[in-house]
Amino acid sequence: MKPIEKYVQAMENKDFAGLAELFTRDGRICDYCTNTSSQKEYHIYGQEAINMFFRNKFGFRQYSIAEAEVVNDTQAEFIANFGGYNVMAIATVREVDESGLIKNLTVRPK
Amino acid sequence: MGVYAISGASSGIGAKTKELLLQRGHEVINIDLKDGDICVNLASEEGRQEAVDTLHKMHPEGLDGIICNAGVSGACGNLPLVISLNYFGTVALARGVYDLLCKKKGSCVVTASNTISQGAGRMDIADLLNNIGDEKRVLSLVSQMDSSNLSVGNSLYVSTKYALARWVRRVSASWAANGVRINAVAPGNVNTTMTATMSTSAKMALNALPIPTKYGQECLMDADEIAEVMVFLASDAARGVNGNVMFVDGGTDALLNSEKVY
Repeated sequence: MKPIEKYVQAMENKDFAGLAELFTRDGRICDYCTNTSSQKEYHIYGQEAINMFFRNKFGFRQYSIAEAEVVNDTQAEFIANFGGYNVMAIATVREVDESGLIKNLTVRPK
Repeated sequence: MGVYAISGASSGIGAKTKELLLQRGHEVINIDLKDGDICVNLASEEGRQEAVDTLHKMHPEGLDGIICNAGVSGACGNLPLVISLNYFGTVALARGVYDLLCKKKGSCVVTASNTISQGAGRMDIADLLNNIGDEKRVLSLVSQMDSSNLSVGNSLYVSTKYALARWVRRVSASWAANGVRINAVAPGNVNTTMTATMSTSAKMALNALPIPTKYGQECLMDADEIAEVMVFLASDAARGVNGNVMFVDGGTDALLNSEKVY
């Protein structure tokens, strides 16, 4: 599976630990979709932070994705749900290391 | 050494704070419902007035500090108590001894909560508390809410703590101009008797609120981690700190709200 596919799978399954393991130790997620839901952007730096952040968001039903579709080798589209507010989003794996771990992933409104 | 009053020091964070102040040679007066030096109910107007009157009688020369720590969680099942103790009890106590603090250029520390940054509070309630301040009306409104619903209790709790932190910010400038510093501490989830006796589902919810300094340990903050900061803020070492809401949560707020720099 490609990193973007693994990312979608982990997000759909609300698997915060599995999601974190897709990233390098200093890997990061920058999510800009929240601006449209009147929240501040999410910039999560580091594997442990990704684990803790999504454990919280999934646990309190503050983040989920639906209708996901991988559109090419590095991108997937989905409806991101921020505590009830839906945003059509596109996630892009921008950089991976030599072992396929994600170094940089962005999520932007589509 | 100094004279410090502290509410809610019979257990938890308050007890640790009292212990640290005593270790540093200060006189400490505990205001609490049980086992206090002044035993009163700060959720009632009479109890608040009795606490203020007693402190004036005990130390007419003034206080070096007051730490307003007494409060209950939203899971206590008593919504009026959350409102009356957490917000009105704290504000009345701090205001009531303001003249004593002025006499000695003392400081005030208020216990808020790091939940204030997580969006779970009701801003309409927080606005009513800060902007109207009519306890009877707020209690009347709250009496129509479902006290058995944990999320209702939690949102009210967060509202009271948010309002407290905002009250601290609002009064801080004029208080400081009169020599009295006031700050708030916003703790994360702490190991106390209250959290130790929580239901399994409530504990699971607590553990879903990550504490980066405790990563992988599945444990909460220790009361002394919060108490150390309270003592610091109350001390002269923090003489340049005023109107600050200091998060003492091991980095939870930074994790969940990294963009909220100010």
